[in-house]
Amino acid sequence: MMMIRQCLAIMRREFFYMWRDKGLRCILLAGPLLGLLLFYATYSARVLKDIPTAIADLDRSGASLELARDIRNTENLKVVACPDSFDELNELIKNGKAVVGIVIPENYGKDVSLHRQTRVEVIVDGSNMIYATNAASAALSVTRTLGARTGINTLVARGIQPLQAKEAYQSVDFREEAWFNPALNYACFIVLALALNIWQQCCTLAACMTIVGETGAGSWYQIKSLGLSKFKLFFSKSAAQVITFMVISLPVFFLAFVIFKIPLRCGFPVFFLFNLAFVIALHSVGTLASGIARNAVNSTRFGMLVALPSFILSGYTWPLEAMPHYLQVIVKILPQTWYFQGINFLTFKNPDWAFMTRFFLAFFAIAAACYGAAAVIVSRRL
Amino acid sequence: MAPVIRVKDLTQGNGQKNILDGLSFEVYGGECFGLFGVRGAGKTALLHILAGIDRFKSGSVEILGCDIRKSEAFKRRLGLVTQERSLFRDLNVYENLEFISVLKNTEKENVLAAVKRFELEDFLGEPVGTLDAGIYQRLSLACALLNMPRLLIADDLISDVDTYSRHVISRELKTFLSGGGTCVWGFSRIEFCAEMNRIGWLENGSLTLYTPRDASEQWDSRLRSPERQNGDDDD
Repeated sequence: MMMIRQCLAIMRREFFYMWRDKGLRCILLAGPLLGLLLFYATYSARVLKDIPTAIADLDRSGASLELARDIRNTENLKVVACPDSFDELNELIKNGKAVVGIVIPENYGKDVSLHRQTRVEVIVDGSNMIYATNAASAALSVTRTLGARTGINTLVARGIQPLQAKEAYQSVDFREEAWFNPALNYACFIVLALALNIWQQCCTLAACMTIVGETGAGSWYQIKSLGLSKFKLFFSKSAAQVITFMVISLPVFFLAFVIFKIPLRCGFPVFFLFNLAFVIALHSVGTLASGIARNAVNSTRFGMLVALPSFILSGYTWPLEAMPHYLQVIVKILPQTWYFQGINFLTFKNPDWAFMTRFFLAFFAIAAACYGAAAVIVSRRL
Repeated sequence: MAPVIRVKDLTQGNGQKNILDGLSFEVYGGECFGLFGVRGAGKTALLHILAGIDRFKSGSVEILGCDIRKSEAFKRRLGLVTQERSLFRDLNVYENLEFISVLKNTEKENVLAAVKRFELEDFLGEPVGTLDAGIYQRLSLACALLNMPRLLIADDLISDVDTYSRHVISRELKTFLSGGGTCVWGFSRIEFCAEMNRIGWLENGSLTLYTPRDASEQWDSRLRSPERQNGDDDD
């Protein structure tokens, strides 16, 4: 009874501490929410449409004008300029006024009418990867359709029946289908992950104060003179922090899933449990940092050193498999890697328990190792 | 009568220099033991060892029959007022009393009684960081006495404290001592030694025991000595 009373008092004091520290309160409450709002606004277009396109029609024949018209009617390309020469097109792409450049060569109409091979050049500005990938994909879908139509016309002109010509071209029907995110919606893919990245950074910052925040304060003398068990103290503090981290994530989830309708394929209880397991593992890393560090500033630095690059290293935006093997091993030490990988599966695919067990085990192993090491350090140093 | 504190050959130091060099002394129940020394003499280091805050290099320390290296049981009957402000900054006056009383496993009635005795009614909602030195020390002593300890360790209890707060603190300290409590009180202003039963003068790592009157005379004679007049003043 006494133990429960003391644990509750320590937890209550920890809540007070986090609430009354204005800076910490603002970071924890506003950081993740503001992140979500900003990122949602940023990706509100969801897919990249109206990609600026310039068509340099060097032929100006009926066939080339028809081709230009077809390109204008394409869903994701927006024709913004029609330069008269290749050099002008080059300038437009260099200045960023166009991302896609299409060059219809001289004699295009003549070659098409004579059923000779001709080459329409599609140039994509590769300096912005996101733009380039979308532009290439949009341009590819246009050129493939137009190329097929021209081929069918050529076969018809050579005396083959239109239906046969069409069948000849479509004998192998390659059909693309994106599963789990059919529209390749950026908002669904990245917004929640970016907001949760802010959230995990804020949580890491707070967790880095678990031990050093207490031992660095004058009140540590009171705690030591009371003979209070260190386990009881830090367990209660940690419990209060973990509860706080989970509570501040709830408005983010509400906004993301209920208001912004970001998909969540798994049920919320599973998602919540997954977040809880992650928070415990993350808190253990922060606690270890706060145990190793000699002061609060160093502890925060260490925490940020882990938290800031962890999202990029997690394999969420660039696949883990494409990283060097040694890096793949190193990043698996971080709970963030497992978290962001798991978030992707849970939001898009709703995997079964057997699949998700490895993620929970990883969190458990990280938490056991970090809390264990922190306990050894605390018992030796304090 | 068994001593409340028994210190034998206590040595503490950082690096090669010993701040406390083989100290041995005893403090008995009901006694107010003054620990006197100039700044940097090692009073706080000794008091922190007695309170079980800091470890020590060698020797033995027994408090209330506990070897403090082996057991922390004595801390249940200990009260501490530190030189540095050590109450919980994030809590107000009442919350500090309440929180410390829970950690000391005492009843809420003790908190209310302490508020009354130390005349803290008007400050209960104030954050401790903004309190005047006098009110802060009254609160510190109130917190230290919440568990009705047998031993009170106080470091610089009434330096820079207003007259009324000093009166309240002295009154409550006398009540504590008359109830059988023992106090070890670190101080650096010789005029306070009148409040104590015995004085341990800490200098160059060694402890010399005096009566309050002898300690006072010793201090006066030092002030009169030619070396001191030549400017070799510690305080």
